[in-house]
Amino acid sequence: MCFKNLPVEFDENGQAYLKEGVNNPYDYQVIDLAEREDKVHELLAKNGFIKSVDYDPVTRVAGALAFHSVVDLKNKKVVSTNSMATLFRGYEIILRGRDPRDAAYISSRACGVCGGVHATTAALAMEMALDIKPPPLGIVIRNLLLSIEYLYDHPLHLFLLAGPDYSEQLINATNPELFKAATKAPAKNQAKHGYSTVGEIMTDLNPLTGKLYLEALGMTRVAREAYVLIGGKYPHPQSVIPGGVAATITPSVLNELYIRLQKFFDYGQKVVGIWDDVFDFMVEFNPDYARCGIRPATMADTGVWDRPGVYDASYANMDEWGNARWSTPGVLVDGEVVTTDLSKLNAGLEEFIEHSYYEHWDGQRFKTDPLGLPLSPNHPWNKETKPKPGKQSWRDKYSWDTSPTWDRMPMEAGAYTRLYMTAKAQKLPTSEFLESTGHSLKILVPGGVLPDAGLEWKVPEHWNALERNRARAYAIPYSAMVSMENWKMAMEMLRQGETEVSTPYEIPKKGTQMGVGFWGAGRGFLSHHLVIDDGAIGNYQIVTPSTLNAAPRTPWGAEGPYEEAVLNTPIIEANMDDDFKGIDILRAIRSFDPCMPCTTHIMVDGADKLITREVTTCACGVE
Amino acid sequence: MVLIGTLGYHNLKDFSLGPILFPIMQEMDWPDEVEIDELNWGAVAIVQNFQARTEPYDRVVILSATPRDRPIGTLTYYHWQGGIPSLESIQDRISEAVTGVTSLDNLLVIGEYFDIWPTETLIVDVEPHPEQAGERLTDALQARIPEVLKAVEHAALADWSAIKPKEILEGKQFELYP
Repeated sequence: MCFKNLPVEFDENGQAYLKEGVNNPYDYQVIDLAEREDKVHELLAKNGFIKSVDYDPVTRVAGALAFHSVVDLKNKKVVSTNSMATLFRGYEIILRGRDPRDAAYISSRACGVCGGVHATTAALAMEMALDIKPPPLGIVIRNLLLSIEYLYDHPLHLFLLAGPDYSEQLINATNPELFKAATKAPAKNQAKHGYSTVGEIMTDLNPLTGKLYLEALGMTRVAREAYVLIGGKYPHPQSVIPGGVAATITPSVLNELYIRLQKFFDYGQKVVGIWDDVFDFMVEFNPDYARCGIRPATMADTGVWDRPGVYDASYANMDEWGNARWSTPGVLVDGEVVTTDLSKLNAGLEEFIEHSYYEHWDGQRFKTDPLGLPLSPNHPWNKETKPKPGKQSWRDKYSWDTSPTWDRMPMEAGAYTRLYMTAKAQKLPTSEFLESTGHSLKILVPGGVLPDAGLEWKVPEHWNALERNRARAYAIPYSAMVSMENWKMAMEMLRQGETEVSTPYEIPKKGTQMGVGFWGAGRGFLSHHLVIDDGAIGNYQIVTPSTLNAAPRTPWGAEGPYEEAVLNTPIIEANMDDDFKGIDILRAIRSFDPCMPCTTHIMVDGADKLITREVTTCACGVE
Repeated sequence: MVLIGTLGYHNLKDFSLGPILFPIMQEMDWPDEVEIDELNWGAVAIVQNFQARTEPYDRVVILSATPRDRPIGTLTYYHWQGGIPSLESIQDRISEAVTGVTSLDNLLVIGEYFDIWPTETLIVDVEPHPEQAGERLTDALQARIPEVLKAVEHAALADWSAIKPKEILEGKQFELYP
């Protein structure tokens, strides 16, 4: 059974149908959050040791995120949490009514890091809607661009955004006993990174001055240089188009790219060694660190990196080409694979707005997908974006983020989900460098200065903040090795004279076409649902990884992933007075690599103001 | 070598003064030693490009429209005199820069921290109308273009002794941090 909560069943031929005898099959319960909030207020009023701890904004994340928590400082636990996206992302409205060819360029601006990913996702949606099949080299080049974006993104997060949380500076300020022990803890991977103790690693994680921080800044340049060789510019490439890429690919371009890519082989080994040492030490020192940011491994991923010869952009063959990807798409519930089919991933998606600043929309345009799978009225193809700024209230609406679910469960997304799904599903294509074992992902990294290495990321026992970051470290060599596979293919194609990189297409002036782009940002799951009506965009819906991770509560009261992860986080920080920094809470949040869409601007009908100016972001005094 | 760099997001009316004037300035006649370039591609990337140059710039002129609570259209032309905020603030600005935020203040502070600015760094900054979406400048800013270009030209070409001690036009140094 794929769905446990949605009213969708399958007959013996695998044909989906709506469960019979259910009056309102997609009905759901909306619970009143007031009762829970009243209890929290009572606790706050009665107990001086229970405090509101607010971060607005949460720093060292991309974009505008605020987080409200209530912490019991005596019992060292979190009592209540609320995650708030404080800016409105209006791309769905900007895109409506435009020429579909604008989608890649405009949606690319949704992010200052993953612009190329959004552009590609829009291109994929167009390809499906208009039956455009890119040539093999176009597919391979797109894969290379994606890997390089990851090679920019992952070091950036590990060392510039999350890394300082594990640095000597922060640890000495919050848990000096941990740093003292670290200075005596031998680093097991010294041969890979050169540090003899974990304390030395932590010192070089110090922001601005630490060698690892500065090295990561330097690696972002290497990745950017590689990207612009094909993408033209970064982060908003001009060369990603429906039907492939608009770039001239020659052996010298690929060789230039390889020179940069190669630098990530040794670097990937080093980064894995660094974070294995830091995290292993922390959990050995205090097993409670394994509970920081813990939640079930209930996650969704779109899979990425298409296979030429299999990918044909069609919805009908989506499960086949999805399963052939170099990272397997699908859904994990509590660490177990529920599906790897993109069609089922798509059919189970819904977005709810009960605790978000939006109005509900009327009607349900699409009852089923193109294969006949039933769709919810809350499915992205049926959803409309109707912003309604209002008062912030924990009892009611408190975020510009929606609450997406799959089979009525909040889903987590991340670079790590790619590893988790791929390791568990065992559908990885035959590869010289990668192997999926069902419980791990083996990565063979060719040597540079360091010798060849066989790395193995193992599915962890507990899904927590440290494991998210550890998996993100392994995602560097994983991405580099997928790049190698694709680089080799690209060279071979050029040798064979296959130089075509794009397929021309026309946009029909009449009729309705629909498509979905499933691709992955550095932070994981990304979908663009597109409907074209008479040659213009009729509806466009974007679900980003942070839409999933930063979600407010569902209508039935289930916490979003940040909210749940922080709620489960023990307070290990030594400071319990005015110096309380909430480092454990911040580690839990940052482990998701939050990326709140930044620079979001949208005109309000009939006004010359921008809606972003009207948002209340301060959590002080919120009910 | 002199760099004239423009800064600002596209399609935000007055806030896009830099990107709007960039192609216009490219068409103007400049001495060989003057380069015109966009500085929109992230403060960290700009720092790295400066660091990679074999021949450092002798002078940098940055054109931007940054809100500073001045009357709309106010043109301020000033000498960047350096100074940096707390390390925590710099760290936050770097986090913003690597995740896509383009801002004059972040560029100046991050550039200062990594010591890329020559002594002769000048800013030409105009007060924009409150943020609006759109491809064109407001009339108020459109009317200031000749003066803006004159200020940029002066900043790029005038003898340093004629610039250094003075606050030019309505210029003053802004406090970018407490």
